[in-house]
Amino acid sequence: MSDMKKEMAFGDRAGAGGRSGPSGGGRGGGREDRGDRGGGGGDMERGGRGFGRRKVCRYCADNNLKVDYKNAADLKYFVTERGKIVPRRISGNCARHQRQVATAIKRGRNVALLPYTVMAHQ
Amino acid sequence: MQQAETTTAGGPPQHAAGVRLREYETIFLVKPDLAEDLVDKIVERMRGIVHRDGGKVIKVENWGKKKTAYEVKKSFRAIFIRFLYLGDTKAVAEFERNLRMTDDVLKYQSVKVADDVEAATRAVEADVKLPGDPEMPERAGGREPEPFGGEGFRDRELADDAEIPPEVE
Repeated sequence: MSDMKKEMAFGDRAGAGGRSGPSGGGRGGGREDRGDRGGGGGDMERGGRGFGRRKVCRYCADNNLKVDYKNAADLKYFVTERGKIVPRRISGNCARHQRQVATAIKRGRNVALLPYTVMAHQ
Repeated sequence: MQQAETTTAGGPPQHAAGVRLREYETIFLVKPDLAEDLVDKIVERMRGIVHRDGGKVIKVENWGKKKTAYEVKKSFRAIFIRFLYLGDTKAVAEFERNLRMTDDVLKYQSVKVADDVEAATRAVEADVKLPGDPEMPERAGGREPEPFGGEGFRDRELADDAEIPPEVE
């Protein structure tokens, strides 16, 4: 959980820089990235762009939890503000469950439980 | 609602011991301003259609009037009904055909839940009626708080990814 917060804080900061010049912000992050990688294998904890420890798949961690397209509240977790499906590298899902989540989200969209898209304004 | 004990009232067919069917689930959206008894009428009609095609209705859930994630037929709310039933492809086709013909049905989606279910032993479950979302003044921009960080954090994160320049030493 604390990792999560760290990740968010970092993302916000990177975003603030990126708003004035999006490409510049992205490049800055990239440079940091490379520096870490050059430093050797010790970049697991702080490497990348502010990823914490790789998360365990939520559905693998809890056997009782099933991917269900009717459970919009759970699936919202795997959808961005704008309604996009969150990629595996961020959601931490395993391949199998990411596939299930993706189809579930698409089914949920079809019955208007989840949005196809959310307008950016406001 | 009616506590359908195996087979009674509406006359669902009795399945012989060896009959195996697939289990399907259909969710359909009904116009939000439709009176409750009319909704029930649709439900009962659909129940009859499943039975006529040799299927067996396991459970009917009425989720009540819920907010939809996007505008459906000029409205942001709809009554959600979920049917869980056994049947074959013919039953589903007939079910969907009838939904299509019903003007008060806005949307539907059928999903196969399980293969090869023994029709005679699959217990019928009690129907469920949920209250739905609390009635609130309809607002086009009505939005719930999102689980993750600031506005568009994730999207920005994704967009950034495309812009990483090629590695230069």
